[in-house]
Amino acid sequence: MSLWFALSPLLILSAGGLLLMLADAFSEKHTDLALGAFMTFASAGIFAVALWIMGGVPAEVAKLVAPWIVLDKFTLFFMATLCLGGALSSLLAGGYLPEHGLDRGEFYALMILSAIGGVLLVAAGDFLALFIGLETMSIGVYAMTSFRRTNPRSAEGGMKYYLLGSFAAAIMLYGFALMYGATGTTALAGIRDALASGSFGYARDPSRLTTVIIAMAMILVGLAFKISAVPFHMWTPDAYQGAPTPATAFMSVVVKAAAVATAMRVLLVAFGDKFSSSWGAGWPPVVAGLAVATMVVANLIAIRQENVKRMLAYSSIAHAGYLLIGLVAAWGHGDPSASRNGKAAILFYLLQYTVTQAGAFGALILCGSKGKEAVSYEDLAGLGRRNPAVALPFTLFLLSLAGIPPMSGFFGKLFIFQSAIEGGFTWLAVIGLLNSVLAAFYYLRVLVFLYMKEPQPGAVEAVPMKSGYVTAAMVLASALVLYFGLMPGRSLDMAISAAQSLM
Amino acid sequence: MNPALLTFQKLWPALAAGTVGAFVPRRSSRVERLGIALAAAACVLFVTMLWPDAVATEPASTLSNAERFPHLLSWLVFIPIVGGALMLFAPRQATKTVQWLTLGIMGAELVATLFLFKLTPTEGKYWIEESTPWIETFGIRYHIALDGFSYWLIVLTSVLTPIATYVSFGSIKTRLKDFCIAFLFLQGAMVGSLVALDLFLFYVMWELMLVPMYILIGVFGSTDRVRAAIKFFLFTMAGSMLMLAAILFVVLKYKALTGEMSWDLNDLQRLNFPLTTQRWLFWGFAIAFLIKVPMFPVHTWLPDAHTNAPTGGSIILAAVMLKLGCYGYIRFAMGLFPHAAHVYGATLAGVAVVGGILYGALCAMKQNDVKRLVAYSSVSHLGYVMLGIFSRNPASMEGAVLQMVNHGISTGALFLLVGVVYDRRHTRDLAEFGGLAKVMPWYAAVFLVVTFSSIGLPGTNGFVGEWLIMSGAVLSKGTLGQWGRSQAMGAALGVILGAVYMLTVAQKMFFGPLDNPKNRKLPDLTRREGIALAPLVVLIFVIGLFPRIFTEPMHVTIEPWIRDFNARVEVPPVELATVAPKPAAPTPTPVPAPAQGGE
Amino acid sequence: MHSGWLSVFAFLVVSSLIGFGLLAASRVIRVRSKSDSPLKHRTYECGEEPAGLAWMQFHARYYVVAIFFVLFDVEAVFLFPWAVVLRELGSAAFVAAVLFVVVLMLGWLYALRKEALQWQ
Repeated sequence: MSLWFALSPLLILSAGGLLLMLADAFSEKHTDLALGAFMTFASAGIFAVALWIMGGVPAEVAKLVAPWIVLDKFTLFFMATLCLGGALSSLLAGGYLPEHGLDRGEFYALMILSAIGGVLLVAAGDFLALFIGLETMSIGVYAMTSFRRTNPRSAEGGMKYYLLGSFAAAIMLYGFALMYGATGTTALAGIRDALASGSFGYARDPSRLTTVIIAMAMILVGLAFKISAVPFHMWTPDAYQGAPTPATAFMSVVVKAAAVATAMRVLLVAFGDKFSSSWGAGWPPVVAGLAVATMVVANLIAIRQENVKRMLAYSSIAHAGYLLIGLVAAWGHGDPSASRNGKAAILFYLLQYTVTQAGAFGALILCGSKGKEAVSYEDLAGLGRRNPAVALPFTLFLLSLAGIPPMSGFFGKLFIFQSAIEGGFTWLAVIGLLNSVLAAFYYLRVLVFLYMKEPQPGAVEAVPMKSGYVTAAMVLASALVLYFGLMPGRSLDMAISAAQSLM
Repeated sequence: MNPALLTFQKLWPALAAGTVGAFVPRRSSRVERLGIALAAAACVLFVTMLWPDAVATEPASTLSNAERFPHLLSWLVFIPIVGGALMLFAPRQATKTVQWLTLGIMGAELVATLFLFKLTPTEGKYWIEESTPWIETFGIRYHIALDGFSYWLIVLTSVLTPIATYVSFGSIKTRLKDFCIAFLFLQGAMVGSLVALDLFLFYVMWELMLVPMYILIGVFGSTDRVRAAIKFFLFTMAGSMLMLAAILFVVLKYKALTGEMSWDLNDLQRLNFPLTTQRWLFWGFAIAFLIKVPMFPVHTWLPDAHTNAPTGGSIILAAVMLKLGCYGYIRFAMGLFPHAAHVYGATLAGVAVVGGILYGALCAMKQNDVKRLVAYSSVSHLGYVMLGIFSRNPASMEGAVLQMVNHGISTGALFLLVGVVYDRRHTRDLAEFGGLAKVMPWYAAVFLVVTFSSIGLPGTNGFVGEWLIMSGAVLSKGTLGQWGRSQAMGAALGVILGAVYMLTVAQKMFFGPLDNPKNRKLPDLTRREGIALAPLVVLIFVIGLFPRIFTEPMHVTIEPWIRDFNARVEVPPVELATVAPKPAAPTPTPVPAPAQGGE
Repeated sequence: MHSGWLSVFAFLVVSSLIGFGLLAASRVIRVRSKSDSPLKHRTYECGEEPAGLAWMQFHARYYVVAIFFVLFDVEAVFLFPWAVVLRELGSAAFVAAVLFVVVLMLGWLYALRKEALQWQ
């Protein structure tokens, strides 16, 4: 296998992104750009899956780009997941942008280029590559957030996201620098070896320990910001609410998945030694605390929201909390079986979450139309009667988010909590489960408005829009939600095999 | 004798009933007469197949149940679910088509249920089992089985769901399709929970019940429906989450001890936990089930849910869904944690008597809303069921299972009857009625029959169940300790209170002067309501007069189950969790002789 | 105290000394103006007189031009070291750099088509 083939998903994305950019510049009509973006994501995803089916990238090929880019099954799994998320988001954009008069072609190019950053991020085996990936991904997303130029909320969200994001990236970069200072390397595996061997005196020299701990904390802050864990979540609701809905879907799906993947790599690989991952002095208790805070705070605030998009933003934060439980479980006191299952649980969760969340935003798009986006609960009143074809998939996605079987979300949560209990964190699992009840409350509230309420007399009814692109995304997402829900076996096996390759 | 003649010999009563049904109601249209004929034939067929002789004359088959009826249970679970999924594509406007399709699917389910009567009960084992891997990575299997606990409950589900649906067609005018789909999914999920032996499958089915019921209450209910629906959902879900945590703990403990994952009840039952662990896990399961039953003090969702649910939803909720709490308690909470169940049994029995039977009855006495009254009477009646389960001897447990069925029939009928007046007057306030017997004689008669069944008059089904439970409680020195007798006394007091409130209702509604002018023109039972009620009234007397037909198949399972349970309690709990060795692979035993039915 | 931190401390001391020292030196050797001189009230005591408010709006095209400048500046920064070692690295390095420049040129082409460089 040649290196070109091994890198094909990345290369296809790059070529596709550039082509779309030029197509946007040289053509008058922009209607088919969404299809192009979808095809780009789809073919990149197919190549990633093909690589997987061929048994992954052979070691001698992967060695050529190591340690900067790691081409293991973990990377391939995430490549496919990110491409899936990107494909769904670009379909959503294909319907949303023309409807709301935002039909400017650079959106698709930005989306693909940002996805390249995401892929680079999950593949990065070195702090420098990681940082390049992070920034490439973020810059595209900042621009997409403020894409509704005339809308003050969009500008505000983009600005907040940009400023806070740069700040978090700077802190993280500072952490990288300190880590380099302490260990003399920027490669993740190298850092692990250095920390584990104590060759630079980590075990003996307390002052070095301080440096490492400060560096670790700073890197953790940067990661938590990208995952949008409480208390680093402040940007999320504003950015999600202000951004055009396809961009919101992209952020909550692709950006989150890439951030969680890189957090797994950094925490489990670079800081996987027994000093920095001990319960007494390492990152696991911090992540556990973040998980609890994230779930509880996000769920409580989400209940109070009046805006569905903002509610979905908070719910996305809450889901980050469940993922962090998985991260703690993936450490699992060093128990290999629990650790493997924890990693696999995160992977499966992200895969199904990608489909569910993108689907939910797509359904929200379909509920509104030009001039009247359906954003508040009131706007959704009576849609179950007016437009059952939209309400039904919406219900499906919300039930999946709430974790009701047999939707995929249930299995995602189940495997996370199962691995948490297996790793000895029954208390975390119980907190997570009780939080699911809290979360069910606000997801049900949408169903209440969809099916059980009628619009106020005299209220402006949001006329549901029609779009082949978004409908296609709905069909695809619903089918996948049911597939992952009823037959999770195959994707779970893939997740486990990907988890095993993470080292 | 040639087979055609044999078949005719078996089927003639049904044919006769069908003929009578088709020709006697002269004034009806052709379609209606066809419907009546089919209903009559099905009803008679049902009774003849139940008849003791029918079981006895069946030639002993040399094949096992599973060989004779492969995938019978899967059919039972998936006919409604797949039917519901297909109904999504039915035309929304064609209400008649939707109605007939729904009833057709439920009829198919009923026909599949008839095959259950052909099963030979096997002692101490599951009568029929199916097991295939589902998610192999985590050892999750699709394992379903049937025994004496679930047998009648499944029959009850298949009989009552079409009745509830059919009677709802009279009052549900809008969004009929959604209603039908919800009902079909609900039915499938309920049957699924009743047959699932894999804890994962059980949990999936258990949660799957929530959504359709939530929609039934929230969309089709009365004034305060949204609040009631959310309350119902959150109460139940909070319980299930604790159960899920407990399930995961048990499964992972099994994995830690044996190295393989299994969610199968049969495997997990081999675990023996230390008593402290058992207590925690037991409560994880028990809270989920007791919320569903519902037992004091977590019963508060029930009156709200019932009051606001549509008639059909109330019938299903009371008649079947609550029973799943009792069933789950027996099957899983007691099955997995015998010591903890033994330790807490006496205390919980006290709660069941005081908080359930007596408190529920007293609450019922103070209600003005008839539906709320019936809801509280459910709390009271399920107290009996739980008392029977906690007493844990053959008589009381058979009584408990029988009482589940009885309560399903009589309370289902009561909710149906309350729905009848609600449809006519749009109020359920007792003070609004009086002297209805003069304008609605048939209605009054049926209501009184059901009332008698509900308060346990001898000759009706309620008597048998309550009598078995109370006699069981008196005899239960080993389980309830010295309190057994006083608890039986409390239960007996509950019967008296039950008579007081139910007869008060009957008296206030039907007798006395017809002084409210709005009641003067009320029409009597319509044909639809009559058809829906007839099988229930028949069943009230069949169970009341021939209880052996019903207790016999249960006995086959319950007797060995209790022996096994007691043996497991005898084994002292351990310090650290252990797992018993796997029993040797079952040798192909000759098929046991069919159970002897009547004498 | 550990020697590693001592050096940091020394670094801090020296750097603050330099800062304060420069300020002190400028106080000693500066050209004094009279306190009531109008020069004292200007934004800058030397150079251009500012005209208008500091919060005036700039046209976005300045921004685009600035970005272009930075982009090509960085490109040059990358190309210099490449040019120095090109002979040793051979043709692969040449192809890589050409690809790099081509991608950059595509961006430039895009900007051109989008009329980002039109100045009117």
